[in-house]
Amino acid sequence: MNDNRRQILDMLAGNKITAAEAERLLNAVECDPAGAGAKMKYLRVLVDTNDPLDGPTKVNVRVPMQLLRAGVKLTGVIPTRARDEVNAALRKEGIAFDINNVTPQNLEEMIEQLRDLSVDVDNENTKVRVYCE
Amino acid sequence: MKGEILPPLWATVHVQAGERRPAKVRSGFASGRATDQKAWRFAIRLWLPLFLLWLLLLPLLILALPILFIAAIIFGIRFWKSLSAVFGLLAGSRGTEVEVENPGARIFVKLH
Repeated sequence: MNDNRRQILDMLAGNKITAAEAERLLNAVECDPAGAGAKMKYLRVLVDTNDPLDGPTKVNVRVPMQLLRAGVKLTGVIPTRARDEVNAALRKEGIAFDINNVTPQNLEEMIEQLRDLSVDVDNENTKVRVYCE
Repeated sequence: MKGEILPPLWATVHVQAGERRPAKVRSGFASGRATDQKAWRFAIRLWLPLFLLWLLLLPLLILALPILFIAAIIFGIRFWKSLSAVFGLLAGSRGTEVEVENPGARIFVKLH
């Protein structure tokens, strides 16, 4: 039983809500597409810029998560010597990241973390928004 | 699942170009009234059957496999894993959409 259902049932048991209200809330929880169980399918990048010379330009890109997964899996085929060189270059730039840690086991966990990703850049002429859906 | 293992089978491409002009309402009640609807001087919708491309490339890939296999051994790359990863990239590209619009043109590409 998830937390939302337990909370609603607790409220019902404590006579804080009526049975009809509990039923309505339970239905809402079950139908919530944005719940924790919903799987993200796409990474969306929206760019809205207003260039003084070229005029307003809109860019709308939808990248499937499956493509990101496949892209990350490509790191698995990098030869060992090249991996060491990549790690050394990352360390040189001050990035403490080891590409040997990118394995199928933790790939899903990495992608799951993207659920909370939302990048909003807003300045005078350009708006950029990156999010998962 | 089927959609995740096959490469994109076709693509739709919409190209609209030329200065946007105000469209006219076709209703008899308000003929001649300009609206904010988008109307382009040139528009084309293409349906590209990518599966024909894959069918054409398949014999070439089969011919190239031995050469790629030898190259992979020489450079220390895991051949079958690389092949699987490249195929995964192709399969993962299904559903990709790119849309770019400015006052002079609009381009929309979608892989199905």
